[in-house]
Amino acid sequence: MRRTMLTLSLVAAIGVQAQEMCQTIASRCEKYITSQYIPDGQFYRALLQGDEQAEFNLTLFGGTTYRVAACSGDTDGVLQFTVVDKDHNVLFTSKDQGNAPYWDLAVTNTIDVTIEAGLDPSKAGSGCAVMLIGFKK
Amino acid sequence: MSLSNTSKLSAYLGLGLILVACGGPGADHDQPAASDTLAVDTPPKETELISVGGSLFSIPSPVQAALAIRKAGLKYQKDMTAPLDKVDAVAGKVFQSSLLGMYGADMAYVTVHKDGQRAMATMQAIEKLGSKLELSNSFDRSLLDQFKSNLGSEDSLLQFSGKAFRAADQYLKNNQRDDVSALVLTGGWIESLYLTISDPAAAKDAGLMARVGDQKNSLSSLVDLLESSDKDRSATALVAGLKELQALFDKIDRSYTFQESVTDVAAKTTFINSKSTVDIPAEQLEAIKAKISTIRNSILA
Repeated sequence: MRRTMLTLSLVAAIGVQAQEMCQTIASRCEKYITSQYIPDGQFYRALLQGDEQAEFNLTLFGGTTYRVAACSGDTDGVLQFTVVDKDHNVLFTSKDQGNAPYWDLAVTNTIDVTIEAGLDPSKAGSGCAVMLIGFKK
Repeated sequence: MSLSNTSKLSAYLGLGLILVACGGPGADHDQPAASDTLAVDTPPKETELISVGGSLFSIPSPVQAALAIRKAGLKYQKDMTAPLDKVDAVAGKVFQSSLLGMYGADMAYVTVHKDGQRAMATMQAIEKLGSKLELSNSFDRSLLDQFKSNLGSEDSLLQFSGKAFRAADQYLKNNQRDDVSALVLTGGWIESLYLTISDPAAAKDAGLMARVGDQKNSLSSLVDLLESSDKDRSATALVAGLKELQALFDKIDRSYTFQESVTDVAAKTTFINSKSTVDIPAEQLEAIKAKISTIRNSILA
């Protein structure tokens, strides 16, 4: 009984701590969705460990410029993200841009894409990944 | 968002222990967090942190649909929006959550058509409904005040609205209320499609029709979201209706041709140039219009 209570308390403490960490990362990430962009009204996050990849599916509408912000850890550049189409052709990867924490995607025609996000193994072994999206009018 | 590797509880307990050991958020003092006046910071009610086994997808913002309707030059029709007195009539998690999403879409619609009075009234309804759904941290008096003092600025109103719904989504996910989050998104999506498709003039606008056809994947995502989050099976009827709609969308032809993207590093912008087309037969459009109207009415009834 005592062991069960201890385990539950530990899990509760872990939950609160990780929740707060995600919140801090989200607050840092929000600054990249500047006033030029309208937030899409959604909040995306995942806990990542090692080489795990979070896959995030979305439709990008033609004639729109989107801003994607992807954050993890204590500083910028911990989370890498790659945008691929349905045939897995790479449309953009932040790995080629010094792990930029945000990037704009100007879309000519509507396209279904997947954003694959993972931790830079040289910078973090685990963490909370937060992704935010905004778009220009 | 989904994880490609199988998640194990032990792995996340280990991760959590590492986070605790590292001191978590307190370690970040170098870069002050930007403050968001609409952000919520309420302690979680339960210990389970984040569901990582399921799939989460992005649903198009209702603001984008409203802007597309305006761009197409369709006549503004306030009567097409959901009646605001439904805020007192609708009961239960499924209908209240869906109605909240519908009002969010309506607010975008009336805002881009510069109907400040209706936008304010809609925001008041959202605040009331948000309170019923225990989302007062996201839709509160200060939001209403900000809204009121910026009624003349369309951009500000859309910003406030987007931030408020994002804060609500974050709050719901933090508190393991993914079912409500999915229902709010669903309501917004249903209303956006209804507003887009209901005016007969919409069928004459190729851009708007393409946008309707392009909702195929979003609908599929919504159904997945609802099914995975509806643990108490309270949204079964809504899911069934959306699946019937999905069957109609399945008959829409879409094509896609990859083209190399071009990146402007200085502007931190990548231009995605791939081509796509969509074709919706007239009878299919009518069937979708009828079905979305039926689903919407079932929420408002």
